[in-house]
Amino acid sequence: MSNYYNMPKLPTEASPKVEIFVDDKAVMVPGDTNLLEALKAVGIETPHVCYHPYLPVSGNCRQCLVEQEGPRGRMLVISCYTPVTPGMKIYTPASSARVKNARKATQEFMLVNHPLDCPICDKAGECTLQENYMECGQNESRLRPEYGKNYHGNPAHQFVDAKGQVRGGKHVDLGPRVLLDEERCVQCDRCVRFMRSIAGSEQLQLAGRADHTYITTFPGEKLDHEYDLCVTDVCPVGAMTAKYFRFQKRVWLLSHTPTVSMDDSLGANIWLDHADGRIYRVMPRCNPEVNRSWLSNTSRLAFQEFDKNRLPSMELHKVTFGNGKIAIVAGGTCTMEDLAAMKMLKESLGDRAELFGGSLLKVTAPDGIAKSGDPCANRAGMKLMGFADVSELLKRASEFETLFTVNANLFGEDANAAKVLEKINTRVALTPFDDETAKKASIAIGVRHWSEVQGTMVNSLNIVQKLSACPVCPDEGLKAPYAVVAFLAGEKLESAADAFKKVTEYVPAFAGLSYDTIKSTGKLLEGGNA
Amino acid sequence: MRVIKQRPMNWIERLYIFEAIRGLWTTLKHAARGLFRYETLPTISYPEGQPEIRNTYRAKHRLMLRPDGTPRCVACGMCAAACPAHCIFIEATQSDDPRIEKRVMRFDIDHLTCVFCGLCVEACPVDALRMDTKVISFEHRTREEFVSHLFDLTNWDPKDYPNDPQSQVAPGGTKNAEALKVWGMEVK
Amino acid sequence: MDIIESRTWIEWVITIAKFAFCFVPVLYILLLIPMERRGAGFMQDRQGPNRSYIKIPYFGKIRLLGYVQNFCDGTKLFFKEMFAPAGVNKFLYYVAPAIPFAIVFLSPCVIPWFGPMVFDWGGKAVRISGSIIDSEVGVLLLFGLSSLSAYGAVLAGWASKSKYSFLGALRTSSMTVSYEVCLGLSMMGILLLAGSFNLTDIVSWQEHHVWGIVAQPVAFFCFLIACIAETGRAPFDVAEGEPELVAGYHTEYGAMQFGLFYMGEYSHICINSFLVATLFLGGYSVPFITTETMQAHMGGSLAILCGVLAFLVLAFLHMIYRYSRKLKATNLTHRFEVLREYSLYKICAWVAVAVLIALGVCSWFFYNPENFVVNGFAVGSFATAVGTALIHLLVLVVKSVMFCWVWIWVRWTLPRFRYDHVMHLGWKIILNIALINLVVTAVVAKLVGGN
Repeated sequence: MSNYYNMPKLPTEASPKVEIFVDDKAVMVPGDTNLLEALKAVGIETPHVCYHPYLPVSGNCRQCLVEQEGPRGRMLVISCYTPVTPGMKIYTPASSARVKNARKATQEFMLVNHPLDCPICDKAGECTLQENYMECGQNESRLRPEYGKNYHGNPAHQFVDAKGQVRGGKHVDLGPRVLLDEERCVQCDRCVRFMRSIAGSEQLQLAGRADHTYITTFPGEKLDHEYDLCVTDVCPVGAMTAKYFRFQKRVWLLSHTPTVSMDDSLGANIWLDHADGRIYRVMPRCNPEVNRSWLSNTSRLAFQEFDKNRLPSMELHKVTFGNGKIAIVAGGTCTMEDLAAMKMLKESLGDRAELFGGSLLKVTAPDGIAKSGDPCANRAGMKLMGFADVSELLKRASEFETLFTVNANLFGEDANAAKVLEKINTRVALTPFDDETAKKASIAIGVRHWSEVQGTMVNSLNIVQKLSACPVCPDEGLKAPYAVVAFLAGEKLESAADAFKKVTEYVPAFAGLSYDTIKSTGKLLEGGNA
Repeated sequence: MRVIKQRPMNWIERLYIFEAIRGLWTTLKHAARGLFRYETLPTISYPEGQPEIRNTYRAKHRLMLRPDGTPRCVACGMCAAACPAHCIFIEATQSDDPRIEKRVMRFDIDHLTCVFCGLCVEACPVDALRMDTKVISFEHRTREEFVSHLFDLTNWDPKDYPNDPQSQVAPGGTKNAEALKVWGMEVK
Repeated sequence: MDIIESRTWIEWVITIAKFAFCFVPVLYILLLIPMERRGAGFMQDRQGPNRSYIKIPYFGKIRLLGYVQNFCDGTKLFFKEMFAPAGVNKFLYYVAPAIPFAIVFLSPCVIPWFGPMVFDWGGKAVRISGSIIDSEVGVLLLFGLSSLSAYGAVLAGWASKSKYSFLGALRTSSMTVSYEVCLGLSMMGILLLAGSFNLTDIVSWQEHHVWGIVAQPVAFFCFLIACIAETGRAPFDVAEGEPELVAGYHTEYGAMQFGLFYMGEYSHICINSFLVATLFLGGYSVPFITTETMQAHMGGSLAILCGVLAFLVLAFLHMIYRYSRKLKATNLTHRFEVLREYSLYKICAWVAVAVLIALGVCSWFFYNPENFVVNGFAVGSFATAVGTALIHLLVLVVKSVMFCWVWIWVRWTLPRFRYDHVMHLGWKIILNIALINLVVTAVVAKLVGGN
C-alpha cells in the first residue's frame, strides 16, 4: 500500500456532463469525478467500505467493483478509483452476474473473521458492513462451526475464548477518547488516512500485512488529537468507538435534529442525536462548504454540559430600565433572531441604549478543518445587524448604568477584562446557565440554550445557516432568548419565524429569505464577507 | 373467493317451532349434566385448582444465567426493539469480565404494559430471555411492583426446570460445576 | 260491626292471612335469580356464580351451592348510590321503577292459591275462597294490572332523557299492546269451556273435567309464547336488545332503581307462570285426584307428601355424597374446606329426612279428624281443610316453578328475534291462530256440550 493517495474529485453543479453507458444504457454523468460518485449522481448506489468522499482514495476494500468494457474485454475495476471518461461502458450488478458475484465474494471475505458482535456493537444500525451485507452479501455461512472465527491481528491481544475460538483485541485503549476493537476492524485504513491527511498528525498506523494487518499507534504514543473522535465517524464498522457514547444507546433509538454548533464562528453543521429528552451524542452533518464531515472534539463533547447548571424558568413581568444609559450585549451564541429582538429592545428604549456584541475569548487562527478559531459564533451576524464590538463597551463602561447581557458570559470569559463592568450597578443577564455573569447579575433570567431553539446564524464564510430546536429542554417553561427580549421590549414574538421576519426587515442582505428558502447546508449571502 | 352455499331450509325447519324445541332439548341435556354431573363441568375452580401449564406457554419472563451467575443478557436491546408494547427498558454498561464486552445494568419489564407476545424471546440473540416460568398471575399492591427488575428476573431456581440443560448450567443446577470449569478456564 | 260479626273469627284470621300471598312473587325472585344464573351456567357448561359464602363457626365457608350470591348482589344494589342523569324529569325518573314493582303486590290477588276451604267451625259451615279477592272478573283484573307495568317502562324511557331508553320504552309499549291481544284471545277458549272469568271456577272445571293443556293445546302454546313476549324476556327482549339499545328503557338506571326493574321483571315471570299453571295445568289441583278424594284420605295424602319430600331430600343427599367422594379424589387445595361445608348440608338433610319420615308415619297412622278436639272444640274438619290447602299450594308452586324454568330455559336457548319478526309473529301468526282456536272451540263446545 502506498502511503500517498489522491483526494477524490467530487462532482459539483458546475461539473461538465459526459455520456457514459451504464448497463448498455446511455446516461449523462458529471465528467470530472470518479465513477462511484458519477454513478451516485445518477442514482446508482455502489457499496463501498474504504472510500470516503473527503478522504484520499485508497481502494483497498474492493467492494465497489464494477465491470468496464476495455481493450482486453470486460474487466472488473474499482469504481472509486476509476475516473469517468466519455463513452465508457460500465456494467453494474443490474446486468452483470460477475459483478454481483465479485461483490458477494468480497463481502464474504470481509466477514470471514468479523465477529458476530452486532447485538453489542455500538455501530449496529448504521454500520456500512451491515448495509453492504443487506445489499450485496446475504451469503449462506460457509464457516465450519468447529473452526469458528479466527483472529489474526495483533498477536499481543489474542486470546482463546471458552468455545475455543481465537479472539483478540476486544477493547484496545487507543487514547483518552477512543477505544479500538481490533477484531471488528476491516482494515479499510480510513482512520489512518483521516489522521494523516485531514488531522495532519499521523498518530494511527497500519501494522502487519495481509490478513494479519491491524491498526495501532506508535509504541508508547496515544491517539490524542482535537479531531480524534472523527475516526469513530469514518470507521465503517464498530472498530473505533467513542468512549463517551460506548453502550449508551442503540443508534436506532436516537432521533436526529439538524442544527449548527454555536461555539465557533465557522458554525460546524451537526446532528443532535437525542432520545428520552436528552442528547446522547453529536455527529457532524456533512456540509461541503463548511465543515465537510468533520467536527472538533470541543464541539462534539460540548453537549455534555448543555443540561447542567441550568437556570430555571421564571414568570416574567414588565420591567423598566431606569433613566441611565443601557448597554445591550449579545453573546456569541445569539442567533439572528435574538439579535433582532435586541434591536427591537434598543428601538423601544431609544438612544440611551446601545448594542454591543461579541466575546472576550481569544480569537485563534482557523485550523482548516471545522473550526475558524473565533469563539463568537454569530460575529458576522452582529456586524450585519450593526452591533458594536464588546471591546468598545469595556472602554466606555463608565457611561452606562445598566448592563443587559444575552447569552454573554462576559465575567466567565475574561474576569480581568470584565472587571470594569462591575462598576455598572444594574446588571441583567439572560442566559441558559447559572454562570459567572448570572451569579454577578442583579437579575438573571433563564432562557433556552441554542440547542433548544430554532434560528439562524451567519458564519465566518458569510453563509446563513439554520438551527433547529432539539426537544431536550430540561424545563418546558423556558423561553427562547428572542421571546424574552421581545417581551421586555414590550412586543411579542410568537415564534422563531416571526423573529426571522424582523431580521429580514433589519438586514437588507436577508431580504426575501425565509426558513424554507435556506437549504439545510445554508445559503451564501450576497455581497461577500461581512 | 369461495362461496359457501347453505342448504335451504325445509318446511319443518322453516316452521321454527320444531327447531326451537330441538334446541331446547340440547340445552336441557346440558343443564341436566350440570345439575346431576356437576363435577364433569370443564371449569377449573381457579385459585384452588391450578391449570396445567406447559413450558411453551408465554408466562412471566426470566433471564438465563451464565455458570458464574451473571445474566446472560448482553444488553443488545433486540428484545426492546422487537417489543410491540415498548415495555422493556434496558441500560447497558461495560462488563468487568474481559471476555464479555457489554453487560446489562438495568433490565425492566413492565408487566402491566406487556402483551405477552413472546417476540422478545424470539428476538434474543443469546437465548437470555425466556418466558417459561409458568407464572401466570400477577398480584401486586402498586403499579411499580408490576415492573420486574433485573433481580426479579434472574431470581429463579434451576430445580424448577429439571429438563432444561441450559437452566441447569446456572448456579445451583446439576450441570453448574461442569460448566463453571469450562467457563472459568484460563484463557489464552 | 255487622260485617265483622257476620263471620267467625277464624274466617277473619284466614282472610287477612291470605294477604301474605301478595309477597309470593317477591319471594319467587329469591328462587328465580339463582335458578336463572346457575341454570344459564349449566346450559353453557359453566358453573355459574358459586363463590360467595357466609362464614360460620366450625363449618367454615357456607356457599349454599351458590345461593349466597343473591344476597351479595342484592346488598350491593341496595347500597349503591342512587343517581339521576343530568336533565331528567326527577319525579317521573324516580317514580317509574316503582310502578312495575308495585303491580307485583297487586297481581296475586285473584290467583286461587288453594281450593275453597270448607270446614265446620263450631257447628257453623265456613267457606273461604282460595284467592285473596274472589272476584267474578278475576282474570280480567289480573290482565289489567299486569298491563299497567308497561307504564313503568314508558315513564322510565321518557324520563331518562336518553334515546336508547326512549326507543326501548317505545318497543316495550308496542310489544305489550300487541301481545296483550294475543294473550287475551288465546285464553278465551278455556274461559269459554269453563264458562267463567273466575279463576277458581276455571280450576275447578279443570279439576273435574280435564286440564286446559289437553282441552286447548294450541291455545296453551299461543298463551305461553304471548306470556313470554309480554314479560319482555328472550327471545322477545327487543326492548332491551343490548346490541342496539344498550339496555333498553332502564339504560340510565342504576342501584336499587335498576333493582326494582329487575325484580319487577322476575315477579312478572312469576305471576305469568302462576297464570299459565292456573289456566292450563289445573292450578292447585292435584293430578288424577279430586279434592274430595284427597280430603277423604287426608292422613295418607299427607304421608305421601312427606314421603315425596323425603325422597327429594335423599336424592339431594345422594348427590352431596357423590360430590364429596369425587372431591376427595382431586387435588384441589380447598377440598377439605368444601367437604366440611358439605357436612353441614348432610346433617341438615339427614335431620330433614328423619323429620319428614316421622311426620309421614305420624300422619299415616294417627291422622283421624274425629279425634281432633281442642278444649272440647272439634277442629278436625278445619285441620283437613288446612292440610288440603297446604297440598294445593305446594302443587301450584311446583307447577309454577316448572313454568318459571321454561322461561329461563327458553331464554338461554333461543336467539333474540328481530323487532319486525316479533311483530310479525304477534299480529300475523299468534293472533290468527288464537282466533281460529276460539272459533273452533266455540263450535265444538256448542256441538258437544250444548250449553
